[in-house]
Amino acid sequence: MTDVAVLATDQLPGGAPGSWSRGRPYFVYALQRLAQAVLVILLAYALSFVLITILPGNAIATVLGNPQSGLSPAQIKHVESYYGVSKPVIVQLWLALSRFVRGQLGVSLVTHQTVTSLIGGALPYTLKLAGTALVVALILAAVIAYGSQYLPGKWARSVLRAAPSLFLSVPNFVIGLLLIHEFSFQLHIFDVLDPDSPVGTFFAALALAIPICAPLAEVLIANLDHESQQEYVLVARSRGLTQAKLFARHLVKPSMLPAVTIAALIVGELMGGAVITEEVFGRNGIGSVMYQAVSTQDTPVLQGVVALATVVFVVVNLIADLVAPLLDPRVRLRGGSRREVAAA
Amino acid sequence: MSIAIAPRPTRRFSAAARGVFIDVPLSVLLSFVVVIVVVLMSVAPGLFTSYSAVLANPSTKFLAPSAQHWFGTDNLGRDEFARIVHGAGPSVGTALIAVGIGLFAGGLIGLAAGFIGGWVDAVLGRLVDTLLAIPAFLLAVVVVTGLGFDTLNAAIATGVSSVAIFARLMRAEVMKVRHTVFVESSYLQGGSRGYVLFRHVLPNAYRSVLALAVLQLGSAIIVIAALAFLGYGSPPPASDWGLLVADGQSYATAPWLVYGPAIVIVLTVLSINRISRWLRKTN
Repeated sequence: MTDVAVLATDQLPGGAPGSWSRGRPYFVYALQRLAQAVLVILLAYALSFVLITILPGNAIATVLGNPQSGLSPAQIKHVESYYGVSKPVIVQLWLALSRFVRGQLGVSLVTHQTVTSLIGGALPYTLKLAGTALVVALILAAVIAYGSQYLPGKWARSVLRAAPSLFLSVPNFVIGLLLIHEFSFQLHIFDVLDPDSPVGTFFAALALAIPICAPLAEVLIANLDHESQQEYVLVARSRGLTQAKLFARHLVKPSMLPAVTIAALIVGELMGGAVITEEVFGRNGIGSVMYQAVSTQDTPVLQGVVALATVVFVVVNLIADLVAPLLDPRVRLRGGSRREVAAA
Repeated sequence: MSIAIAPRPTRRFSAAARGVFIDVPLSVLLSFVVVIVVVLMSVAPGLFTSYSAVLANPSTKFLAPSAQHWFGTDNLGRDEFARIVHGAGPSVGTALIAVGIGLFAGGLIGLAAGFIGGWVDAVLGRLVDTLLAIPAFLLAVVVVTGLGFDTLNAAIATGVSSVAIFARLMRAEVMKVRHTVFVESSYLQGGSRGYVLFRHVLPNAYRSVLALAVLQLGSAIIVIAALAFLGYGSPPPASDWGLLVADGQSYATAPWLVYGPAIVIVLTVLSINRISRWLRKTN
């Protein structure tokens, strides 16, 4: 693995993949991992609450104190008692956490809608964008990795090898603006005013996917490098397997496992990047809800979006951690019912 | 004790320098040149341009790039190159602050967790898990919203969002060294904890932490630019690179207002990432 990949896998929330081989049966590991995920989600919610509440600009008071907020004195009183504004921070935190556990995220200070309905309305747009971007990123990474191994010509291969580090160096808003400028203004392939059209969605997803596919491509390249030096590859080749068959039958599977871990990690970047991409392409979605919430200091909405992103991120990583031992016999739990295999 | 700090013989110095330069690939040398130029820009912008970055000049609106105006001029007739040069400080200098915060706070957390262990490790471990659970860019947005929109606050927010990564690496490095034979023998010979820390643990950890710091410098520049792009940095007439791109996007007929600052951001981050990669390879 390259060092970037190592650095990336270092960032696993809650326990690196090494933590399962402690002689525990799988279901104990799974339960512990689940409990840890729940704890981390609650702590993260508390942390974002504390950050938003105690930092200098007290947003709720600012918004409520603004004569243009359009709230009657009775409504202001109601909002104040709902959030417990006059109570100590620890009580407010308790109120917020107990509502969060029950699935209530509060009410927007600006539009007076519930945060859950605001987010629910915007979620499909972001799912469409982020889902497309994830697929595009996976395909891009696979193409780069395959090409870096088998493209004819050393020069072409080294260009592809350099691609991930170039992609990592370009901010995604720059990519988005370049795509809009070239493909919408110059070539008229899509209309920026209709960002939700399939082609518009594709280009927005591409802008989001390019920086995100870089770590994935790096890991795949490193794994393919490692696997192609193994002896079984030589054996397979001497049996007369073609390049493509060798790749599909033997090399893809062992290179996948670390990729699953990285793919789970990039979900976090997808959600951060969605804020910028939706803004650049003028799309609706969670990102634009958050953008508006930040500019109007609408803290319940901001916190709701952050909570949603945290839950998604933690759950996806939980799934990746739970699936990993099932995918690779080498990292199966020792002492479990399965055959023990020494980790290579 | 004689205090003989004679200046090194120049011959040896040049030989050493030649050795260093032969080992360094050309792309890394070029990267260092780019980084040095950018750092000079942020320290002494006056060296690079005589144009003002803030004063409007209506007679020179929207001029395309030329020998007088390398990156063209903007909607108020200001020289875009001058704006970029004066924006280097708030774009790159603040990234240094961000990395400093992450390095210092994260390093301390990781050091305490790995070196003290026990319940300190357990508590700090949960804190790091919590910080990692919030997607980094969203965490930065939350912090900058709390602190108020300003480039320095954006840098602080970026630093906070990178604390956990540094803490994790530092802890891993400390754990790696902690159980080695030479550390145990150092304890056996009567070395105090502080002695072992400064003599063995930190010197062994610093290379990989340094490589991460350089890598994080590149991503901090991108995050700060993204925050500025969204308008969470200092307002105009500040000329943070991200803000320049955001301003430039309104003028489709003057694409140089986007391309100029965008190319500068990409070149800078690319150079920093190249140096980081080289540092890790030579580890």
